[in-house]
Amino acid sequence: MIPAQIFRLIHTNGFLWQATKKSLLQKLRKKTGYTLENCKKALQLHENNIEKAEKWLKEQAQQYGWTQAVKLQGRNTGQGLITLTIDGQYAALAEINCETDFVAQNKKFHSLAERVALTVLNFAKSQEIQNEVQRTALHADNLKVLSAADGKSLGDHSALIIGDVGENIKLRRALAIGVQSPDVTLFGCTHPTPMNPIPVSFGKYGALIAVRSKNKDDILGMQLCQHIIGMDPQKIGNPRVDEPHNNVDEESCMIYQEFLLDPSIPVQQLLAETETEIIDFARFEVGENLDEESTVESIQTCG
Amino acid sequence: MALISTRAIFNPVLSEKELATAKKYSDIDNAPEEQARGITINVAHVEYQTENRHYGHTDCPGHADYIKNMITGTAQMDGAILVVAATDGTMPQTREHLLLAKQIGIQHIIVFINKVDAADSEMVELVEMEIRELFSEMGYDGDNIAIVKGSALCALEGKNPEIGTQAILQLLEAIDKSIPTPQRDLDKPFLLPIENVYSIPGRGTVVTGRLERGKIKKGMESEIIGHNKVLKSTITGIEMFHQILDEAQAGDQLGALLRGLKRDDVRRGMVLCKPGTMKAYDHIESQVYILKQEEGGKKKPVTSMMQLQMFCRTWDIAVQTAVGGNKNLAMPGEDATLILKLIKPMVLEKGQRFTLRDGVVTVGTGVVTNTLKPLTESERVALLEGKKAKQKELKQQKQ
Repeated sequence: MIPAQIFRLIHTNGFLWQATKKSLLQKLRKKTGYTLENCKKALQLHENNIEKAEKWLKEQAQQYGWTQAVKLQGRNTGQGLITLTIDGQYAALAEINCETDFVAQNKKFHSLAERVALTVLNFAKSQEIQNEVQRTALHADNLKVLSAADGKSLGDHSALIIGDVGENIKLRRALAIGVQSPDVTLFGCTHPTPMNPIPVSFGKYGALIAVRSKNKDDILGMQLCQHIIGMDPQKIGNPRVDEPHNNVDEESCMIYQEFLLDPSIPVQQLLAETETEIIDFARFEVGENLDEESTVESIQTCG
Repeated sequence: MALISTRAIFNPVLSEKELATAKKYSDIDNAPEEQARGITINVAHVEYQTENRHYGHTDCPGHADYIKNMITGTAQMDGAILVVAATDGTMPQTREHLLLAKQIGIQHIIVFINKVDAADSEMVELVEMEIRELFSEMGYDGDNIAIVKGSALCALEGKNPEIGTQAILQLLEAIDKSIPTPQRDLDKPFLLPIENVYSIPGRGTVVTGRLERGKIKKGMESEIIGHNKVLKSTITGIEMFHQILDEAQAGDQLGALLRGLKRDDVRRGMVLCKPGTMKAYDHIESQVYILKQEEGGKKKPVTSMMQLQMFCRTWDIAVQTAVGGNKNLAMPGEDATLILKLIKPMVLEKGQRFTLRDGVVTVGTGVVTNTLKPLTESERVALLEGKKAKQKELKQQKQ
């Protein structure tokens, strides 16, 4: 009789202990979102002290992210986002890559994209504007070492997300732009456009344009950006130097191209009618082949 | 028949049961349709059989890739297998996987919890709870979703049969049970898109075409719809390869003799169908994949107010586009929601596939996702006047 009672006692205790451990693991996982394996390890190391375990996990996340980043670095990153933000006379355009578009649609990845855009924007603001339009191209290595608003480098931030989603992520390139004179306006858009207009925009394509015009026409600015995304011009073109191409469909000079939203008029005519001058433009597309030469020079300027 | 899979695990297990040929992992990543169709398809196919059914299994590398396959009709899915690692739990992007499944209308999902050899029972239990929660949140019946636990690695290496081979067989059993057999074309109401119309002296009007679905018999009531007309008639004779028949089935190329119709009443592009089963529409919502230049498409994107020719079954008609969703243009290589206005109502239905062309170039290929309310008279007039007139009007308003 007595041994049986003791046995029952031990058994119940064991069961209770199991139950609390499980709910702890569940709680920790829900709270932090780290993988179950790591949550379990954290609890084991800290004798089921949830606060300590959480602290440890957060400390480890950076390290874990970097290990994952090293492990996954060889994987192909063909998907991703172009992120764009404009603030007055400064703008930033950046490309971040990942492996699948499932990840590219995820909020965690979006938050990284937003951070990168804002960091590049801050970088743009820190640059001295020497020309009418100051362009600074950043590529992977320069981007990684930029520090975000919280003091951590962008490389650290991307490693954290790598640890979270288990996919390779690359900060591929960025462009910081500043314009000098007040009558030059910056416009930008991404495609597809996010549902809610937000300060930082994401898409598969992104275009930035610097325009000089008497009356600031937001709609025209956006339409020109759409034109750049859709028609992929290689340069603005100068009527005194450049000749129109024989085949209008092959035209790569923006001024001779048919305007995307009204193919009956060329861009040149549209600009003349609206008294607008394009000073500079940039176009990013996710995964496009880059001409290595143009990215090697870290600073390029346009007049 | 699947979404995200433990690609290589089925075949070795099933080849032991002589139901599939074992393929190496490296051999799976190919798609012969790719060349045949001229559209790049980034999907791997394998096939296997259980005692009851034959499955085609598609691996799905990305959202855009799958949407493209769905639109072009190269891969339709009846169900999906979602694989979650017991060591990781659901990943942040699992939500996006389910979102895709939802978007393309997959009702039946079976979950496989993988890597149970590397996790303990409470972790597996937690993963299961998490999955059920996520499924409920995404609008599926989370409590009743079939979940199978196992280890693909064990199955591959032939270790621990109870979580290896046995688990895979259990998974297949779950698929057999949870995914209903799709309705066969033969059981649906009959439909014949008309290819040609002939008048045979002394007999009457004959329409020819391939019976798309259903069965027809001599003496059946029928309806002929399209090109702004709805006619009623009776099928008084069926002829195939110069033989008179009493009955024909889906897939047959045939001629049908129709009572009381004149040759001029009927035109190519109309359909012959069971009365009350089909309708003509002139305003639809569609999901369209825009072909890249390398795939034979155009370099330029599709914008709103473009005039294109829509080809569908045996008819083609001019349509005006409006790019919907969160896009204002549809780039080559992308999929987009297009609202199409047809200059004449034509027979359509949800799920119908079509092609959009501009002159001799195929611009895109699409699927009807919704039929919208018919155009009003003023909308139709505006449609016929086109874009130029609208711009003129705008300019006049400004002045």
